[in-house]
Amino acid sequence: MSIADLQLARPATRPAPTGRWLRSRIVPPLAIVLVILGAWQATSVFLDPLLLSTPTAVFAALVAMAGQGQIWAALLTSLEEMFAGLAIGLVLGIVLGLLMGRYWVVEKILSPYVNFFNATPLVVTIPLLVIWVGISTQARLLFIVLITIWPVLLNTLAGVKNVSQGYVDVGRAFGLSDAQMLRLVSIPAAVPYMLAGVRISVGLAIIGMIVSEMEVSMVGLGFLLTSLGNSFQTSKLFGVILVTSLLGVLCAAILRLVERLWFRWIGEVSAAQR
Amino acid sequence: MLDIVGVSKTFETRDRRVAALQEVSLSVRDGEFLSLVGPSGCGKTTLLRIIDGLTDATSGRIIFNGVELQGVSREMAFVFQDINLLPWRTVVQNVEIGLEGRGLSKRARRQRALQALELVGLETVADAPPYTLSGGMQQRVGVARALAVDPKVLLMDEPFGHLDNFTRENLQVEVARLWQSLKMTVIFVTHDVDEAIFLSDRIALFRTNPGRIAEIVEVDLKRPRWEYNVRAEPNAIRLRERIMDELEVRKLQLA
Repeated sequence: MSIADLQLARPATRPAPTGRWLRSRIVPPLAIVLVILGAWQATSVFLDPLLLSTPTAVFAALVAMAGQGQIWAALLTSLEEMFAGLAIGLVLGIVLGLLMGRYWVVEKILSPYVNFFNATPLVVTIPLLVIWVGISTQARLLFIVLITIWPVLLNTLAGVKNVSQGYVDVGRAFGLSDAQMLRLVSIPAAVPYMLAGVRISVGLAIIGMIVSEMEVSMVGLGFLLTSLGNSFQTSKLFGVILVTSLLGVLCAAILRLVERLWFRWIGEVSAAQR
Repeated sequence: MLDIVGVSKTFETRDRRVAALQEVSLSVRDGEFLSLVGPSGCGKTTLLRIIDGLTDATSGRIIFNGVELQGVSREMAFVFQDINLLPWRTVVQNVEIGLEGRGLSKRARRQRALQALELVGLETVADAPPYTLSGGMQQRVGVARALAVDPKVLLMDEPFGHLDNFTRENLQVEVARLWQSLKMTVIFVTHDVDEAIFLSDRIALFRTNPGRIAEIVEVDLKRPRWEYNVRAEPNAIRLRERIMDELEVRKLQLA
């Protein structure tokens, strides 16, 4: 067989794109999920369902909860607190990060505190927050702000300080003022870092929401989790865990979408550099 | 008239001092095409950056039309070897970068940028993102970005260094045409002797360690040079040999 034959033969042996996609991307993961769910269901034969419950029972519990409205109220409260806290945390983090990146003095003054807070496991502040503002929405909000602010701040700072020298040269050679350099070069160049920080902060916001509700409330998903646990309602407990997981997955997907829609260059540029 | 007067640049690291440029003086004539040629490390790029004000000289002065320049000059524009188009801006927005803060309306800025893109034949991709362009096209955008600010002096730092031979030769002709029609002064850094001969009125030959100008040679070849095979001209061949001897390329090769 000559080389020409090989080249001619190749396209014909290649499977249709959709068929390959289905076979490689959908079938194997689906099969694994089914195996895991099956194994989980099988554990009920030798394990008390109080410990692990079963997929079917969890599904039934979720349907029941959705009908009662209990989980909806909890979800709504939690989401309100989470997004309000996250929004405040992100704005503060980005603004402070930019100020620190822009003004050397601000960085000198603030960085010890930033490092201190970033290194502290901030759950320790919860009792203090309760003393200050009581068991309240404010305490939970404050906690979420307090834990989401640092990753986005540090990433923004790193982004502004690590702008490629080539971009800075271009800005300087073409006579940009300091303010223009920040607005037109440094901030856009720092966006990939900022988005990475936002991704971490979003994850922390979910954790902060759950933890603060477990400790400091009679509402929300966190409280629901604690009370379901205390009353050994394992199936419902798994249901709520599933809901919080989906929330995290959803947030990550939204962030990816934002990046794809508004910051397409990030993927393109890093792909070109690879 | 652009005068480079006794420019020196020393880079200091912890354990040693490197004299990148030592007492370099050079008068650039209005409207001439001057190339700076030399081996890597001879300070030619550093000199170009000093002329534009991107790098500070350790000592010496840059005098343009009788005025000593401080900081980045508005009379000059720089074409970088690494073009560094900003990926979050479209092609035309990249060309507009030098027009920011010059009190132009958005529309006027775009207009001027589009004119500059037209000069390099890229007006049709004005609204494309820069990373969709080939290397040669990106470097054309780099040239348009510099032309958009209407500079009196165009500083080009090995602009075609990363490009393949075909693209490179096309762009050389394009730059020669632009220079001829726009009548600006061009200072062009390259290590490609043929490129320098094809483009230049004069070529400043650099030596290294410390970086300095060894000799300035006139290129006395008929223009426009894209209308005949310059490389085959006896005068060009002689000039090339002389430059290679001066740069001691031969000696290095024999050693």
